[in-house]
Amino acid sequence: MSIQTKPLNSSDAAVPSGPATSANSVVVDRLIYAFAGLAAILLAYNLYQIFMVLGDELQQGAIYRIIFFHVPAALTAFIGFFVAMVLSVVYLSTNNLKWDSLAAAINEVSLVFACVNIVTGSIWARIIWGIWWTWDYRLTSMLVCILIFFGYLLLRQSIDEPTQRARLSAALSIFGCVDIVIVWKSIEWFRTQHPGPVLSIRTGGGSMDPTMEAAIYRNLIPLLLIAISLVILRARQESTAREIDSLRRRLM
Amino acid sequence: MDARNFTFMFYGFLAAWLIVLVYIVTLARRSGRLRKELEDVKQLFEDKQAAPKAR
Amino acid sequence: MNGLSYAWAIARKDLAVEFRTKESLNAAGAFAIVILLLFSFAFDTASDEPAELAGKLLWLVFAFAGALIFNRGFAREMPNECLDALMASPIPAASLVVGKAFASFVLLLIVEAVSLFACGIFYNMNWTRRLPALFIVFVLATWGLSIVGAVFGALTVNLRLRELMLPVLIYPLMIPLLTGAIELTGALLTNQPLTPDVLLWGRVLIVFDVVFTSLAILLAEAILLN
Repeated sequence: MSIQTKPLNSSDAAVPSGPATSANSVVVDRLIYAFAGLAAILLAYNLYQIFMVLGDELQQGAIYRIIFFHVPAALTAFIGFFVAMVLSVVYLSTNNLKWDSLAAAINEVSLVFACVNIVTGSIWARIIWGIWWTWDYRLTSMLVCILIFFGYLLLRQSIDEPTQRARLSAALSIFGCVDIVIVWKSIEWFRTQHPGPVLSIRTGGGSMDPTMEAAIYRNLIPLLLIAISLVILRARQESTAREIDSLRRRLM
Repeated sequence: MDARNFTFMFYGFLAAWLIVLVYIVTLARRSGRLRKELEDVKQLFEDKQAAPKAR
Repeated sequence: MNGLSYAWAIARKDLAVEFRTKESLNAAGAFAIVILLLFSFAFDTASDEPAELAGKLLWLVFAFAGALIFNRGFAREMPNECLDALMASPIPAASLVVGKAFASFVLLLIVEAVSLFACGIFYNMNWTRRLPALFIVFVLATWGLSIVGAVFGALTVNLRLRELMLPVLIYPLMIPLLTGAIELTGALLTNQPLTPDVLLWGRVLIVFDVVFTSLAILLAEAILLN
């Protein structure tokens, strides 16, 4: 029952902190610019490497370069969904809405990267497989993933009460993330059209040119940095929304 | 560089960044809306606090 | 009383109410038959092996009919603030969810039995050949559907668009379970040997059941607390 008193406390605290939050937001602004700037520099370097230095794939021509965004985007999305699940657990054990906002922001940004993954994959498949889409198990699991976390955003939209929204969406985040693991594990059991694992953490090495694999990992860093700066932006919106909400309550 | 499938590679890169860009635009719009809403509510709040003193 | 006997009490209460009114049983049963009828227009029923199609058909029907039952599970406690009363009672939230899941499980099994029988007649299919194995598959998969249904029934019970949100949230989650059930049921109905490949899906069902039941028990408190 102590949970119900929490939002009242935090709303009391939210109002007098006017100048403090603006000073805070300047720091956060700088952080966003720093992350985004660093991402831009790394990205420029990586693009130079990808187009000018790396050789061509023997069979696929230029289009294989999509993998340098396709795979890191998927990794970014999965890392995000996992971190959001951990934060959801943290929220449920601390009842601090800060963690809920952060989890929501991360899930939303991860969803964007999951979409990047599936769209780039589709464009690649149009050339290499001759089709935009196939119900291969790996494509299906990514689609399932997108649907689950789209449902997460829908759920958040349809609840107004902040603590209820936080608890229910935390539960969905945990269920969704665990479900993805189960879906994902079944790939290996099902015949599949998608190229098998190529990264050496999965295969033990040997199936991919090491310089190409290194480029994939190197491109993961700027994508993660972009994701982080977007998450900070989004989380700040959530806290603004919370501030508005608590002011509204005090007005009533 | 090998020129095979170059156009579709271009489409792929374009699509990837377009998605991120569209998301950033929606984020920026939402930010603007929230900031305005916060200003409005703060104004209302100050008005309400000032009112009893004036009386 | 321990958690399990509380759950059993809840399930017995729900089943008693349901057998008296038969509201969701009738609705879900009729819905299942209607869907089976609609599928007969969508697919070529004169094909050589109707049983192959039936495995896929049946689980879609069960998932659809299940959503009706799951929707009722917690919604039936909404009038007269029964849910608040239940939460205020010494019954742990986990027992409430597991009890509700068990009631839905029994109801859904009844609907499944009816649909299987109807499917056998409509699609001229022999479903009695491997009945014990089929029963095990149905029990495992139906429990998975029911526990997810109960959790998300609790999760969506206060939402404005409850009836719409429940299917949107549960179907993507159920995909590994439904795929496994479809593979196993298809193999059993067409009387194919259970190769290790097919049996792996049995493991998917078991893992799904165990993992989601544990999660449901752990998260029930957080979901139901108002």
